[in-house]
Amino acid sequence: MFKDIAEVKSALAAQQYIATDEIATVIFLADKLEKPVLVEGPAGVGKTELGKAWACIEQRDLIRMQCYEGLDETKALYEWEYAKQMLYTQLLRDKLGDLLHDTTTLAQAADKLAEEEDVFFSKRFLLPRPLLRAIVADKPSLLLIDEIDRADAEFEAFLLEVLSDFQVSVPELGTLKAKHMPLVILTSNNTRELSEALKRRCLYLFIDYPTTEAELRIVKLKVPDLAPQMAQQAVELVQRLRKLDLKKHPSVSETIDWARALVMLNAKNLDEKTLENTLTVLLKHEHDVQRAQRILGEFNVAEDQGDDEEDRGKGASPRYRTPPRK
Amino acid sequence: MDQRIVEFIAGLRAAGVRVSLAESADAFRAIEQLGIGDRDLFRSALRTTLVKDSVDVPAFEKLFPLYFGSGGPPLTNPDEELSPDDMQRLKDAMRDLLGDNEKMRQLMRYLLEGANPTREELEQMANQAGVPLARHPYQQSWLTQRMMRQLGMDEEFQELMEQLIQKLEEMGMSRETLRRLAQIAAENARALQEQMSQYVGARIAQNATENPRERQPIRGPDLMQRAFSSLGEREIAELRNQVRRLAARLRSRAALRQRRGKRGVLDAKRTIRTNLRHASVPIELQHKRRHLKPKLVLICDVSTSVRPVVEFMLRLVYELQDQIHSARSFVFIDDIVDVSAEFAQHRPETAVERVLDHNPPGYYNTNLGFSLAHFCKDFLDTVDHRTTVIVLGDGRNNFLNPRLDAFQEIKKRARKVVWLNPENPRIWGSGDSDMLQYMPLCDAAHEVGNLAQLAEAVDRLFDTR
Repeated sequence: MFKDIAEVKSALAAQQYIATDEIATVIFLADKLEKPVLVEGPAGVGKTELGKAWACIEQRDLIRMQCYEGLDETKALYEWEYAKQMLYTQLLRDKLGDLLHDTTTLAQAADKLAEEEDVFFSKRFLLPRPLLRAIVADKPSLLLIDEIDRADAEFEAFLLEVLSDFQVSVPELGTLKAKHMPLVILTSNNTRELSEALKRRCLYLFIDYPTTEAELRIVKLKVPDLAPQMAQQAVELVQRLRKLDLKKHPSVSETIDWARALVMLNAKNLDEKTLENTLTVLLKHEHDVQRAQRILGEFNVAEDQGDDEEDRGKGASPRYRTPPRK
Repeated sequence: MDQRIVEFIAGLRAAGVRVSLAESADAFRAIEQLGIGDRDLFRSALRTTLVKDSVDVPAFEKLFPLYFGSGGPPLTNPDEELSPDDMQRLKDAMRDLLGDNEKMRQLMRYLLEGANPTREELEQMANQAGVPLARHPYQQSWLTQRMMRQLGMDEEFQELMEQLIQKLEEMGMSRETLRRLAQIAAENARALQEQMSQYVGARIAQNATENPRERQPIRGPDLMQRAFSSLGEREIAELRNQVRRLAARLRSRAALRQRRGKRGVLDAKRTIRTNLRHASVPIELQHKRRHLKPKLVLICDVSTSVRPVVEFMLRLVYELQDQIHSARSFVFIDDIVDVSAEFAQHRPETAVERVLDHNPPGYYNTNLGFSLAHFCKDFLDTVDHRTTVIVLGDGRNNFLNPRLDAFQEIKKRARKVVWLNPENPRIWGSGDSDMLQYMPLCDAAHEVGNLAQLAEAVDRLFDTR
């Protein structure tokens, strides 16, 4: 339990996660109110990282569930381990023979067998999936449900039921109730509208791309080997790329990858050649790379002439058009 | 404070943000934890509990200062900076100048004595300016201006101010002090305006709460249902932003449908493998997955009436590239043009723009029949037994030959021919529309008057049955 928001912030910082006041506030509230947190934002701004860092500062086990299309209950909640049940039946055949040996009719044998049914439908043969693991865990846990927007709407409805009271009924075993309330964090890339009901149950946090200062702090923290001057230049360039009209904008994790690449290549400054070689770390579409190179080329010229590059950057990107073909 | 938060929540609801009872209860619990000492924390707490969609954040940010604003910056009293002598001079000068001009004296009291207007005064001024009738946020600045004018901030005031300064100078006030005094007056005027503006904003928000029927913010679902023909520039722009999300939804549905197909042929190998764990008793049947992605040929009318539909259709189809085997696009007005190359070279948004730019609509020159015939002659090889041909147009042919024979030819080769028509089915076949003649030759004909219908039509294309 945290005393105040500053404590949350410093604890997260100790986990190498730089949190804004807003992030810290939401985490603090989620901890106090025991509510799930729904985190939205563009890909690669550290939504999943937040979940991991949170688990660390709470000293809880992280149970992660990655969502995808077609994810269903057997993959998310539990499954009976048929193979193991089969194996046991085979191995215990003699024992079963002994057991049924004194019965005379088929009905009697079936009754006798039914008495022993519990053995085969016990927790021994239950294969817990992330949701059930979070519920039956002996230690308090933190459940990270990643990219919930990728799962189908039916699964969302099912999840809602589990999240509201943290109990699951397995027909053969009865109801399993959570020993410790797990903390829950859901992330979404906002590719589809989530249901109102799910949103209603969660605290909402939108993480956007960080500001130049914040991103610089992140880069300095994660890639301490990069010279400060270079880090500054690199972050400014990434921020500029985000203002362009690209198919996919570089994420924070890609900035970090790029910074690492620059360290590896022992780059002294961001000249045209270095850029050409490493831009593919930041941009993953051929079209984007070409476009960025063209526009950055213009920037470099502008810089040489001492123009106000920032203004040109804003103006040039949205208005940019290829000349009409005749 | 509780009352204020409840009012704020009502304000949010009036602005179109869905806030449930459970959420407002959460907001109060959060405030209990955090207190109201820190304004930023308070705002974060309210935002995280009340706003669950990034679309609604701007509305929240706009309303928050109106309800929990500082009320605007306070006015400054110059007596802290002026010497007692100067203060006396100022008072004398004002008395001489203003005499019994009550209105001006009031204004000077705000500007030169730094008297903050009380809530009652503000209310009175607002009532006079007609604020109680205002319901739209855009009226805020106008009403504020009006209140300032009513207070006497006009030419008369400017004159008076000049006279005052002249008088003070005669009375022996230093230049320096005079400049400072003018500065304070100007700052106070700005502060006063800000106070009024915030007050007016809050009142408007409150008015909107009390008459929720008055406001209708443009929201996604409503726009989807609106007919293309009734959309303005701004709304079309907004819809364009929605197309990508719509495409994402359609994509996941199309992908799901492919995977879940239980109609296929039994896949013996996979069935045996999956059922090994059931001791080879075939409990779970596995079917051969059918990767039957549709192959599309689009024939689009780009005359004025059909333009928005074509634009959205092309955008949608090309956003869904990965679920489609291949797509060829043709546009026509008087003759057919192959535009697939545009889409191969450019991103969908740009390509659609270019296609529409290069094919400007003419004046009553649509020739559907000739275009179809030309298509048959030159491009019929693009159509095979796996191809779905989609014709997008209103079927209006300027009373020219509809060339049903050409259409018949296309139909013979294609797997399916679908006609999407932006017009209401009731007027199909009226005037120069040949729709009713083409219709019997199509496998399906749908009305696509708005984005919702278009989305449904596109969705049906992926239905492989």
